[in-house]
Amino acid sequence: MIQFENVGFRYKRGPEVLQNVDLEIPAGSFQFITGESGAGKSSLLRLLYLDSMPTAGRISLFGRDVTTLTRDEIAWFRRRIGVVFQDFRLLDHLSAAENVALPLTVAGVREAAYRDNVTEMLQWVGLGDKMEVRPPELSGGEKQRVAIARAVVASPDIILADEPTGSVDPAMAERIMALFVEMNRLGKTVLFASHDLAMIEQYKLPITTLRGGTVASGKRASGRGAAA
Amino acid sequence: MSAIRSKGALIPFQAASGGLMILIVAAMAFLACFALAGALGTTRIASTWTEGLAGAATVRIDANEDDRARRTSLVLDILRDTEGIADARALSERDVADLLTPWFGGTPDLGELPAPGIVAVTLDIENEPDPTVVQARLDGAGAGAVYDDHGRWRGKAARAARAIGNLSWWALGLTALAIAASVFLVISIAMVAHKGTIEALRLAGAEDRFVANLYQKRFFWLGALGGLIGSGFALAAFVGLDALSSVRSALPMIDAPYYWPIAWLAIILACALVAVLAARLAVLATLRRRG
Repeated sequence: MIQFENVGFRYKRGPEVLQNVDLEIPAGSFQFITGESGAGKSSLLRLLYLDSMPTAGRISLFGRDVTTLTRDEIAWFRRRIGVVFQDFRLLDHLSAAENVALPLTVAGVREAAYRDNVTEMLQWVGLGDKMEVRPPELSGGEKQRVAIARAVVASPDIILADEPTGSVDPAMAERIMALFVEMNRLGKTVLFASHDLAMIEQYKLPITTLRGGTVASGKRASGRGAAA
Repeated sequence: MSAIRSKGALIPFQAASGGLMILIVAAMAFLACFALAGALGTTRIASTWTEGLAGAATVRIDANEDDRARRTSLVLDILRDTEGIADARALSERDVADLLTPWFGGTPDLGELPAPGIVAVTLDIENEPDPTVVQARLDGAGAGAVYDDHGRWRGKAARAARAIGNLSWWALGLTALAIAASVFLVISIAMVAHKGTIEALRLAGAEDRFVANLYQKRFFWLGALGGLIGSGFALAAFVGLDALSSVRSALPMIDAPYYWPIAWLAIILACALVAVLAARLAVLATLRRRG
């Protein structure tokens, strides 16, 4: 369960980018977060992957108030959260396989134990033949799929995706959406941020709309989401 | 799958900065070897001087030629009768001349010099006599002799050697500090270049110590390699100096080759450990500062 109670957030001394956000996302649900550019979608996800702490209110994650977490606990919590960033954040000096293996490597899993898992994951996203290719040699869509494989390889409880279809063509966007729906079917909680309302509305899944840093409208997700 | 390399590859370390680090550590290790030689050498000097002068004393008899034989005999009787004195022997004119040779050159003619009579005294080290008691006995018998157990010189020599030794240890400490500061600086700069990578690692769930370990491993080898090169050059310098017999007698470190392998290994290990410790502190401090 993810719970936001009256959450506010600002970057240093800047204006509040999130104000009075109340949100409740049950475990195993699929939730779209939408809104125009600057509405606060990325900031909301940023709070969820614990890159920043709320400047007001309370966020409860896995039953803990995130502001009480130690640095080590933050690291352990992040291992339970897979993130697909808008800008991918792949490491250019590592191969696609090494990028995908990153969450397992930092968790101390031995290569022999995750080798097959990484291979399978890259095959799942259609990049089985590009395992040794480095990100600069991959297309935008391929990078996106590597980022998705990295986000899910350690089987996290929560998957956060920030505009994961923003830089790919419609066919690839549909394929990527299918991957997230599949992950949700496997029991993962998925938060999918996108400003592409037309694409979102194709799926009968809960949508929270942000406007000017506040929740403008939202359907409370209940239990596991179902794909259209 | 050959695509996944070791953890060390997670951070894209630059070969140039590694080379610079090795050079810095090598220079410091070279200096550290000489500081260590100084520290160990002066400790040996202090101990040699102290031990060499311990267990021995001299009695100086200021007397003219006519009276010297009588007074020497009196002094010998008193000394041999004193508890804690194992042996007393009057030096011959030839012995005294030999002692003066380094200062006068050639063989000095004692007939032309007001050289005193000297009695060499061997003390019972376990039971050395109180010098004031011995002097009082000599004075009481009217021997006109001065008893000297070299205590004043022993103390001065040992203090001087200890002071130089302490300075050498300080120099060694400062060298370690310089290595640590260099590592700290290099890592702080490197972490700016690696910001994106570190951010990706942390968002993937890496704890601070995981990131620190990546740098520690790298800097352990850089430190050890720098230490190996620097101390290798220092060892070559010692061997070169050792070949010069005139230098050899002046440098006790060189005169004790059994120290070399131990000191060499200690310097290499110390360089590696200082680099690791500094790397850890630098990484943890930088990560905490970034929040």
